[in-house]
Amino acid sequence: MFMPMLFEILVYPGLLFILVVSLMYSGILRKLAARMQNRMGPPIVQPVYDVIKWFSKESIVPDEARAGYNMWPVVGVVAAFVAGLMVPMGGAAVLDGAGGIILLIYFLALSSAAVYMAGFSSSNPFGVMGAIRGITQMIAYEVPFIVSILVPIIALMGLGGVDYLSVSAINGFQVNNVWLIQLYPLAGVVFLLTLVGKIEMPPFHTPGAHQELVGGYSAEYSGAGLGMIEVVHIIKGFVVMGLAVALFLGGAGTLPVFIAKTFGFLVVLTVLRVVMARLRIDHILEFYWLLAIVAGVDLIRVILVPAGL
Amino acid sequence: MKKTTTIPIGPQHPALIEPEYLKVSVDGETIVDVDIQLGYIHRGIERLMQDRNYVQNIFVAERMCGICSGAHTVTYSMAVENLIGDVEVPLRAKYIRTIILELERLHSHLLWAGVAGYEIGIDTVFMSAWKDREYVMDLLEQISGNRVNYGMSTIGGVRRDVSSEIITKIEKVMDVVSKRADYYADVFLNDKVIVARTEGIGKLDRADAEKFSAVGPTLRACGFDYDIRKEGYAAYGDVEWEPVVAKNGDVQAKAIVRLGEVKVSASIIRQCVSKMPKGDIRVKVAPNVSENEAVARIEAPRGELFYYARSNGSDKPERVRIRTPTYSNILTLKPTLIGQQLADLPIIVAAIDPCFACTDRVALVDVNKGDEKVVDGSYFRKIDRG
Repeated sequence: MFMPMLFEILVYPGLLFILVVSLMYSGILRKLAARMQNRMGPPIVQPVYDVIKWFSKESIVPDEARAGYNMWPVVGVVAAFVAGLMVPMGGAAVLDGAGGIILLIYFLALSSAAVYMAGFSSSNPFGVMGAIRGITQMIAYEVPFIVSILVPIIALMGLGGVDYLSVSAINGFQVNNVWLIQLYPLAGVVFLLTLVGKIEMPPFHTPGAHQELVGGYSAEYSGAGLGMIEVVHIIKGFVVMGLAVALFLGGAGTLPVFIAKTFGFLVVLTVLRVVMARLRIDHILEFYWLLAIVAGVDLIRVILVPAGL
Repeated sequence: MKKTTTIPIGPQHPALIEPEYLKVSVDGETIVDVDIQLGYIHRGIERLMQDRNYVQNIFVAERMCGICSGAHTVTYSMAVENLIGDVEVPLRAKYIRTIILELERLHSHLLWAGVAGYEIGIDTVFMSAWKDREYVMDLLEQISGNRVNYGMSTIGGVRRDVSSEIITKIEKVMDVVSKRADYYADVFLNDKVIVARTEGIGKLDRADAEKFSAVGPTLRACGFDYDIRKEGYAAYGDVEWEPVVAKNGDVQAKAIVRLGEVKVSASIIRQCVSKMPKGDIRVKVAPNVSENEAVARIEAPRGELFYYARSNGSDKPERVRIRTPTYSNILTLKPTLIGQQLADLPIIVAAIDPCFACTDRVALVDVNKGDEKVVDGSYFRKIDRG
């Protein structure tokens, strides 16, 4: 009983699996984006080299850095991994149970917030501005994110016998029935768009805009600290793909289906990355609040017609 | 008074291609003041020129800037030709000078298009524009042997001829470049996110453009139909073309002007190669130049490039004064940045196509006497021993 559990947590679908697949997806994204831009791009294993490099370099801590400078990146990494353990990846999620989705939302938000807190603690105007932008972007997308997540939850509430607050249950429901994005397309599309903002991919890559803010919130970080911040991004990127599949894109009952669907989402993200320019933070705010209203339409629908399944 | 934060943009900053220091005061994301401090690329070129003869100075002038090196050599050559007096530059040389100048404008504007894309976060435009630019760079390399610093113009003409094989290649590349210019203009006018980042941003109104003596595409984007090529230097009088003018004065207008100029340049080059006269490519001039002073100015990719030269009978100039286009345009940063969002600073700065290598001078203004002098190294050595 204990050994399988340990295997699940540490290997599959746990930490090792999450780490390896995240790095692979990050490498594939970079390679694909490069080919779309008519250039060669780095080898797919490049993120592995990057991580090794970051953790082997000297970490220079600024004298003026405030409390939390060392801690927040660690919090971010831990939160990202824990969130990953809560997402079903071709089976049930490792850490699941009643109310799982609430904890998942919390840990995902924590992994983002920790990175921005790191920016705040670096006492560098660029770091602080990047963190401010990051928090602003969170304010922007968290609302439509929550509104759209409520839709599958409430949809399953009317069923009975299903733990509607468990990500694995929603995943399982979709595997056996129908893609929730088909039933609630508005909420589904809004959810996917909020995920793009969550992982700061184009066109929502404003917080880390290095053309303007010299790296934004990670400006003062080097060595292991920088490595951890970058790992948070890489892990979160993969975790949200898994979340999209589990909540709206038909779920995944087996590993191959999971890989296929998340890979499809990766390709879409890559196309966005190559084609879109950076939106300004006020544009992003406007856009996401509009999306909150759009998702609200589906929310009203699902409340009024709970037996719509 | 509301507390503002000062963000140092520079001297090293990913938004800038060359070092300068913009001390930007912000209130939240809004820029409330800009202090422009230059001087990081000052190399004492005007002083260097006083110690070298007229021919050597061609190559000193060339290295003022990598992107507009051709413009500098041609203007310098023209200034010295005006100093000497009755120098009949052969017609073929004038055509070759025009081709080099326009090829330079092409590569400069394509470079700019890429940089503009990069500044607003879409590096695909950067990759794409610089790939197209490579066709032009290949041409320049085949003509002159180098991608920058071509060493083509000299006093009295040009130093190398253009063969007929190269002429065929030129025609082919111009077709490609024209089509791509249409494509980029379409992108800058129609892509929703790019439009959101460039339309209405960094608007320079006509009054400010006049007040700050803006030049080049920055000026023409505010509705001024002013292009020095219309004065007919080199072979511009022999070919048919019109300046590109836009109305709004914002970043988008500047982009449209430059992309339009790419098409115009391609057309000028095509006309030049089709009408290319045969003949000599240079006339000989004497090394010593009698006492005189003269000016020359051309439309470099960034605007009016102005050379003043004074001779004293020897083979070295008494004084060369260079006023580059960015020197004028940089002043327009103040009205265009204040009131805008910090996020738009990179694209607004990039929109004047700044070339700080060309721009840095050290000028001492004596406010009591009201005169201004450009100092050289010995002055600093003197005050250092103070």
